[in-house]
Amino acid sequence: MSAPVTELLVFQVGARVFAAAVQDVVRIGSVRDVPPEELVEGTSLGATLGRERGIVVSDQQVGTEATLVVDQVLGVRTVPDDEIRPLPAFAAAVLRTAAVAGFVLLDEAPTLLVDLPTLIRERRAAAAA
Amino acid sequence: MSAASDGFDPAGASTRSGPEAWFFCLRILGGRYAFEAPLVVEVVRLGPLTRLPAAPAFLPGVFTHRGEVLPVLDIGQLVGQGAVPIRPSTRAAIVHCGPWKVAVVSDAVEGLVSIPRRALEPPPAESTGMAEFLSAVGRDRGGAIAILDLPRLVETARARAVPAGSAPA
Repeated sequence: MSAPVTELLVFQVGARVFAAAVQDVVRIGSVRDVPPEELVEGTSLGATLGRERGIVVSDQQVGTEATLVVDQVLGVRTVPDDEIRPLPAFAAAVLRTAAVAGFVLLDEAPTLLVDLPTLIRERRAAAAA
Repeated sequence: MSAASDGFDPAGASTRSGPEAWFFCLRILGGRYAFEAPLVVEVVRLGPLTRLPAAPAFLPGVFTHRGEVLPVLDIGQLVGQGAVPIRPSTRAAIVHCGPWKVAVVSDAVEGLVSIPRRALEPPPAESTGMAEFLSAVGRDRGGAIAILDLPRLVETARARAVPAGSAPA
């Protein structure tokens, strides 16, 4: 019997690499043809450099889609579930975002695991405020 | 590097009794600070930090130690005295404060110090900066040591942070 695994999309915003659950991603594409009002950028992940790629994210909680602007999509990685770690309790208690779901060890480096729907919801709430 | 390899024995310190009080001493931004020795689990050399988005300044990042992801606490930033420089040689004391496990970053680790209980004095009446979190002031052969109320300091850090979802991203 094989160990449970999770598929993660690995992407880059600025100089930093993040991972997110593939199940939240509808498709990946260029941002050029996307209407500006559907683009989400300036999130807590930081500023993009090239503003080239978009990750179309499905938010099943509110039934909408949005395109998160990123610099690069680096690929999909399949990782054993036991390589996914929760955010340390103290960090979870003081972060000003709920979009960091934990860490995944990619090539032994802790990479932030991002909850994309929450990230987009937070950014839209901040923009509306 | 483990505390055990430094000859540090927090369990032993906690059971000691008598005229000496045992503390764990760090240098932070040039000052000598100490806290109750049994709070310290281990002393480590910080690995590469992973910085967190939307983190307060006193949380410069997290690092992995023996497969565990640990948050780093910069006391200097918390009390508004500036950031403790983080270099490849930087050491941190991993401490347990109630439900929280954090690595307190320092300029240098002195280790266990004993101070005669009768030599402990009340902290100054100031209520700003590091003085806000002092429980006593002591002195050993190395000079003055400010004794921190670390559990109160860590809890204050948590309380001062804006909870997730209530601030702009």
